[in-house]
Amino acid sequence: MNASALKIGTSHPRGDAVAKAAGTERYAADLYPQGCLWAGAVRSHQACGRIISIDTTAAAALPGVVKVLTAADVVASNRQGIIHKDMPVLCDDLVRYCGDPLALVLAETKEALQRGMSAVQLQLEPLPGLFDLDSALAADAPLIHEDKPGNLLAQASICKGTGLDGFDACSVVVEGSFSTPVQAHAFLETESGVARLEEDGGLLMEVSTQSPFRDRFEISHALGIPWGKIRIVAPSLGGGFGGKDGATVQCLLGLAAQHADGRWVRMQWDREESFKAGYKRHACRMEYKLGAAADGTLQALHAKLWYDTGAYAHLGAEVMELGMEHAGGPYRIPHTLIEGWCVYTNNPTAGAMRAFGVCQATFGFESMMDLLAAKLGMDPLELRLKNALVRGDENCAGMRLTTSTGIKTCLEQLQQHPFWQDREVWKAASPAYKKRGIGLASVFNAAGYGGGVRDAATAKIELTPEGTFLIHNAVTDMGQGNSSAFLQIAGHILSQDASRVLLKQPDTRTAYPSGSSSAGRTTYTFGKALITATEELKARLLNWAGMILFLQDNDGLELQPGRVLHQPSQKEVSLVALAGYMQPEERVCLGQYVAPTCKEVPPTAKGFFIGFPHVIFGYGAHLVRLEVDSLTGQLTVCDYLAVTDGGRVLNPGMFDQQVQGGVAQGLGYALMEDFTVRDGVVKTPDFATYLIPGSLDIPEIISIAAQGEPEETGPFGMKGIGEVAMNGPLPAVANAVADACGVRLCHGPLTPQRVLAGVKG
Amino acid sequence: MWATMTQCTDRCKRQISFPVTIEELFAVQEQQPEARIMAGGTDLLVALRHGPQDTRPIICLERIEELRRIDELPDNSVSIGAAVTFGSIVRSPLLKARYSLLTQAASTVGGPAIRNMASIGGNIVTASPAADSLPALYLLDAQLELRSTTGSRTMAIAEFMLGPRRTLLQPGEIISRIILPPAQDWSIQLFEKVGRRKSLAIAVASLAAMLRLAADGTVVEARFAWGSVGPTVLRCPAAEALLKGQPLSEAVLTEAAALVQDAVSPIDDIRASADYRRTVAGNLLLRLVA
Ligand SMILES: Cc1cc2nc3c(=O)[nH]c(=O)nc-3n(C[C@H](O)[C@H](O)[C@H](O)COP(=O)(O)OP(=O)(O)OC[C@H]3O[C@@H](n4cnc5c(N)ncnc54)[C@H](O)[C@@H]3O)c2cc1C
Repeated sequence: MNASALKIGTSHPRGDAVAKAAGTERYAADLYPQGCLWAGAVRSHQACGRIISIDTTAAAALPGVVKVLTAADVVASNRQGIIHKDMPVLCDDLVRYCGDPLALVLAETKEALQRGMSAVQLQLEPLPGLFDLDSALAADAPLIHEDKPGNLLAQASICKGTGLDGFDACSVVVEGSFSTPVQAHAFLETESGVARLEEDGGLLMEVSTQSPFRDRFEISHALGIPWGKIRIVAPSLGGGFGGKDGATVQCLLGLAAQHADGRWVRMQWDREESFKAGYKRHACRMEYKLGAAADGTLQALHAKLWYDTGAYAHLGAEVMELGMEHAGGPYRIPHTLIEGWCVYTNNPTAGAMRAFGVCQATFGFESMMDLLAAKLGMDPLELRLKNALVRGDENCAGMRLTTSTGIKTCLEQLQQHPFWQDREVWKAASPAYKKRGIGLASVFNAAGYGGGVRDAATAKIELTPEGTFLIHNAVTDMGQGNSSAFLQIAGHILSQDASRVLLKQPDTRTAYPSGSSSAGRTTYTFGKALITATEELKARLLNWAGMILFLQDNDGLELQPGRVLHQPSQKEVSLVALAGYMQPEERVCLGQYVAPTCKEVPPTAKGFFIGFPHVIFGYGAHLVRLEVDSLTGQLTVCDYLAVTDGGRVLNPGMFDQQVQGGVAQGLGYALMEDFTVRDGVVKTPDFATYLIPGSLDIPEIISIAAQGEPEETGPFGMKGIGEVAMNGPLPAVANAVADACGVRLCHGPLTPQRVLAGVKG
Repeated sequence: MWATMTQCTDRCKRQISFPVTIEELFAVQEQQPEARIMAGGTDLLVALRHGPQDTRPIICLERIEELRRIDELPDNSVSIGAAVTFGSIVRSPLLKARYSLLTQAASTVGGPAIRNMASIGGNIVTASPAADSLPALYLLDAQLELRSTTGSRTMAIAEFMLGPRRTLLQPGEIISRIILPPAQDWSIQLFEKVGRRKSLAIAVASLAAMLRLAADGTVVEARFAWGSVGPTVLRCPAAEALLKGQPLSEAVLTEAAALVQDAVSPIDDIRASADYRRTVAGNLLLRLVA
């Protein structure tokens, strides 16, 4: 045995650690092709208006300006969007948010681009804008999109059991209204890429994207380039969190390339543009009513969720649907009515973000659980344990759970932790003018695209002539570490050490369609496909080695780093030699996987287009210990504990990083992140005004893997946990504040100002 | 000769010089009267990002040794060069021993990287209502030494500050030093800043306090100054007077807090409401008995 072979279940360093630490990893934002043109979008300063004219003559005449394009230059549909194609590449009639692109300037230098962009003359007739849910939903509200009556992108409901009649039998009922803010992804690498038209008329683009394969369809639909002729290369991303799922710069870049005579074009949004034009997390308003029997058994739930999707659809409807599917928490509730509205406004566009619609609903629901516990005079952990889902139960959306369901284990492990056991002692020791509190949250998050969508991947691995293995990754690595997991999976199966397993980031020419990097399905789906491919390659190698060594079967043959060894005879064949014997096509193996979907879809959901229901969920139990400063309302998060059910853990180090990253981002959402828009204008355009937490705001985050069951369907028993941790902090912190000082905060983020106003009463 | 560098890009043809003495600095200034002074650049460069059309030359202070020193003077006062960074202030044992109020305030500026660039002189000249060194400098009776080709003058910090982003600094003039009068014996020196996060945060309200207590614990002298609750640093003589001769207790401080809440004139902005700033400005006094 060789100790250095990669092994599932151990904390190998990430495959990208050295390059990223040394600053040599090449991101899309690092690309400056020789002689490239610069492209930039001229954006609307009005949130809502009709285009009277766009005069490009002065701009086009400036030295260094190569082209100034408008909607008239787009030959195809000029509409982008993942499912709902309602977003113009360049606006042709109306502008719907402050930042809508109106013209695209191509210039020789960045400076000429700036001058060109300032010289484009826009004439817009302002129209009354709709900036909040109420005005957008008003009966006489103007329509933001003509074909969307009531300004509703989507409206749906889930009704289970006897719905609202379930409240009749409840002894205790609690109600609450909640709201959550817009959150920005705030990735380090803003939206960026380079593109050019190739000699055959095809489009080559290297871009910061979570969805290289799907991008081809968006670009093709908008710009009329056949998708088969579009090649997307997706290097490592400097962060994504959902904000690069779907076209950001892609269609603008493609359009620029169409008018650049074969030259490279580069586009990178600066931070302000990213904040204005990039997608955001949906602001959400919620009304909750929850009923239980006198012993705390949950009986009935009524939840109403309104999501502000901004000017365009992006994945707004799907975000709302996923939030609804999770609106009852990881609990058994026999009767539910969950209603959702996804509403267009003239605010910046909301889209996908880690914990996609779910972290909003979790705030509502987990706050309700504490309100209920208080009313019942019951311990909040006991209430959660009592109602926690187990395999075989129906969840709040009416789906019977047939896969691993570890919430109970998570809660039980949390219960054993000293933070819970010693809670009263810790609270009693609070310093002067500080109040200590402990808050809980049970969380869950679906993995996979959900019903109606094929969630499939095709993995490719090859033995190179040098005797190393090359994985052709097809699902972007935005920093979450899926490529490291793939290296580990292949290394484990092939018994190779880290130096012999390499990975190429997605390129639609050399890899195969495998969906987006999202939805807790990246390692899961591609990993399963990779196992198939790698096992086939292993079988081929053993077969070849057996032939070379004249062995009648594979007994005693084993792969070791760099070679195949026949243990009994100690004869070996090196991988380099095997690569020489094998035909090129023989050295390449593909594997495919389609994730399971629900076969018997419950008839509970109405108005869902796709994405319902899900069959696999990650779970977590979170605990926060914090201090409320009663003089200032400031919160100090002292400790954070997250017990997570992700099935079997492939790499404990990376598992913990995902949980810690999710909790940190969730604490930002809980404590300070508040993307503020007034009358359509962004009031937090940069990092001086849009605050994300720093190292001092985030405590040591203790991550514990639940000692539960593996997820039988997943690669080596894993399931995705990239999102679930994001859900806990906001409700846990709110519950801890209530525990500390009796103040129930229902509007995020939980700023010192809100806390102090609550304390003052 | 001083080093002059011309940074040339299409975007910005800008002359940047690095004089090593104050005399050299004035010589450059004579040739480039429109030039801007830059110490750490943590305010200036932020402003330039929003006004890229500005191609005025820059004169850097960072190589002028005289402006980077902390010295004890013969009369026991202490001189801090205007280009001394908050990082150096935090690390100075002399300042910590004598003027811990300033050390505390300096340690709340930005984060480690910002503190290693940001100078105390730049903080004063920027004259932000939220500048974290100012409340401490007011209470310590800091004197500013201002220099120009025509000579030097000295002025109390409170006199120098006119309002947000407005000071008595004249064109062609620089702050050369900040002089802290000989340290007195204070029983309590406390600076607390309330921001929206624990580092890299602009103060929403801050309090600097210095108290001298008698052996029996009663207040002999109290000095308070607040940041971020008015156009400039706010003093509240009424609150200071109220404490005199009183024991330092929650009851007395609560009474003083009410006076402060009347005296402040905070603003509403994206970071906090006026009401919140007002409440906190008063409440912070109670930290003295925490
Ligand atoms: C991320 C970040 C966080 C920050 N956090 C804080 C904070 O917590 N608290 C706080 O108070 N400030 C903070 N600031 C603001 C800034 O760092 C401070 O005001 C700092 O002290 C400015 O000093 P500087 O040396 O960088 O000034 P510069 O930017 O170099 O100069 C600022 C202004 O002063 C002039 N100037 C500088 N030195 C002299 C001199 N000797 N004589 C005459 N004119 C001079 C310059 O011409 C310019 O107009 C922060 C800034 C950033 C970017």
